[in-house]
Amino acid sequence: MASVHSDPTAPRPVSAKIVVSGGFGVGKTTLVGTVSEIKPLRTEAAMTTVGIGVDDASQVETKTTTTVAMDFGKLTVEEGLVLYLFGTPGQDRFGFMWNDVADGALGAIVLVDTRRLDECYGAVDYFESRGMPFVVACNQFEGSPMHDLEEVRMALDVPANVPIFMTDARDHRQVQNSLLHLLEYVLVEMEKQEAAAAAAVPPPEPLFTKNQPVGTGVGEGVRF
Amino acid sequence: MEETATAGASQESFVRPYMITGGRTVGAAGEIPIETLVVAQRPRDGLNPDHASVVDLCSEPLSVAEIAVHIRQPLGVARVLVADLTASGHVEQYETAATEGAAIVRRLLDGIRSL
Repeated sequence: MASVHSDPTAPRPVSAKIVVSGGFGVGKTTLVGTVSEIKPLRTEAAMTTVGIGVDDASQVETKTTTTVAMDFGKLTVEEGLVLYLFGTPGQDRFGFMWNDVADGALGAIVLVDTRRLDECYGAVDYFESRGMPFVVACNQFEGSPMHDLEEVRMALDVPANVPIFMTDARDHRQVQNSLLHLLEYVLVEMEKQEAAAAAAVPPPEPLFTKNQPVGTGVGEGVRF
Repeated sequence: MEETATAGASQESFVRPYMITGGRTVGAAGEIPIETLVVAQRPRDGLNPDHASVVDLCSEPLSVAEIAVHIRQPLGVARVLVADLTASGHVEQYETAATEGAAIVRRLLDGIRSL
């Protein structure tokens, strides 16, 4: 099949993924749909839950794989560059792992209803434990009180460098800005890591060390 | 807008995934990121209907997640089919941002700012 994409001079398409997470009914699918060029699609993803059985006297960790519905959307940012937004299902169970969604994701938006802050604790813990960059977006609901964002930060116990901001999941411009906030933060974190990795590279080994006795090395063992 | 297009809800999908994949579940296929773009490389001639339908879908690059929705199967099944078709040369998988580092994030930022 001679595809239009087989032009060898064209840059190869690349896709990226971010996660939109938060409690049930907080507006994840709304947010995804606001910037998506397709109507959000629903698929089934495997999720592993790790539980310590309360009924089980041995207190052994049990792993269970369940299947959950997941909504996602798509934004073609430029020719050959596609951003997928995956909405993770709201979960309050301890120890869940959204591996299908989270593996390889650039970062996450934790969408929060400030009237029900506790519902996003699980998501915050999850991304912190994975070391995945995340931002906290407080979705504006009609009638919801305006919260001091620093109060939200304290309630969620997230570090000072994690961006927290207000958004409106129905508003295109505000959702775009939320994406930008996340990606700017992801970039800062990536550059930090790259700088740390560069600093951690050991200096090249000298060809001869000070303590190395003369006579060892290339010619050793060769007798004339 | 909470309504979505749903796939895989029919009763037959309970049994069919294992028939489609011949009982295989993950293996190398389990490592294919769900956002991976897949594009057809060769004609579908001689393929069974399930594999052929994936090749048809990928005349333009399409993610594994979208393929799963279109064939009305769970992600795991789409992954196995894409892995098979990649091995046989019928489709090609493109890179994802996970392997591209900061450069891709800068491109995303520039692109979204100018939308």
